[in-house]
Amino acid sequence: MSRLVDIPIPEDLIARARAGDEAAQAGIYRALAPAVFGLIRRLVGNRAVAEDLFQDTMMALFQRLGDFRGDAPLGAWLRQIAVTRCLMYLRSPWHRARLQWESDEASLHSAVLPVMSATSPDALDVERALASLTPMGRAVVWLFEVEGYSHEEIARLFGRSVSFSKSQLARALARLRQGLAPQEDQEACTPI
Amino acid sequence: MHTDLNEKLIAGRLRAADEKQHEAPYDWADFQRRRHRSSLTKVIERHRPVAIAAAVLATVLVTAAPYLRPAHVHTPALAPSGPIARNDVSDRQERARTRAIEGWLARLPHDRAIVRVGTHAAVSGLQDQIAALDDLMSTERAAGAQPARLDALEQQRAQLVSSLAQLQYAELLASATP
Repeated sequence: MSRLVDIPIPEDLIARARAGDEAAQAGIYRALAPAVFGLIRRLVGNRAVAEDLFQDTMMALFQRLGDFRGDAPLGAWLRQIAVTRCLMYLRSPWHRARLQWESDEASLHSAVLPVMSATSPDALDVERALASLTPMGRAVVWLFEVEGYSHEEIARLFGRSVSFSKSQLARALARLRQGLAPQEDQEACTPI
Repeated sequence: MHTDLNEKLIAGRLRAADEKQHEAPYDWADFQRRRHRSSLTKVIERHRPVAIAAAVLATVLVTAAPYLRPAHVHTPALAPSGPIARNDVSDRQERARTRAIEGWLARLPHDRAIVRVGTHAAVSGLQDQIAALDDLMSTERAAGAQPARLDALEQQRAQLVSSLAQLQYAELLASATP
């Protein structure tokens, strides 16, 4: 599966979708939806929230397709919409309240659940390590390392300073390094 | 042995995990259904203030209706004392109608799951007025009041019962709406 920015969408398909052709819109949806949802899921974690943001993002895509000038790939344009919505959610008071509630729950169950189902032990390690990050840390590390955003872009998106982005990244990487280190270096984490 | 993972390696593993894990939450048809539902919800949300204002206005009008009528209808004491030209048949019909409405009101549940304070106050006010009127009519009858005066009281009671029924029906509709 390609990254969102790398998915090619033919210009004529975009033109037809812009003109209201439902088949063309469906084609664009089928091409971009999995990557959009994957990105949103990575940034916000919770599946129900991700579905809401995904719906919102895809609706915005078709509502604002007329504004798309074609300077960049459609996927990059859509990624910007998705990321903006996710960060708005992460900065919202509702999300902070939910985090508080979840941390209370987590302290009761002391389990870190992965965001997505992993298909291999290695992928499971990555999922667990990602799930152990704070939402901000996870978003910053994902945007920087996987989506290729610069610290300046991340700082602008979060409405914070560049040093905020750098410190979040450093902390997240340290935690990932810890989580992804070979098993023999770690303390036993499976209850006996 | 301690193997430190450098940043590039971590980034590589994150990207590798990303390659494997993409999934679409639902297909195009489902997206369209949700899109239409969302548009409908937005329309409802956009008109909600107007609907609320209309409901409040209707409640106020229904509650205030007895007071907005001409004084001779509202004040039984000022009702004409001369011979009444009212038809006995229509009088009986009026009473039967009022009894039917009262029966319907009596069948409504007393403890509603949702109580809207504004409507609740209006309903209580109308019920109090009906009860006060019932007391007054009993006293007047016992005192041998003129039929015209009893008629005027009966008429006013019918209006109050009708207002109460309209209000309760509106609330019933509102509570049945999701």
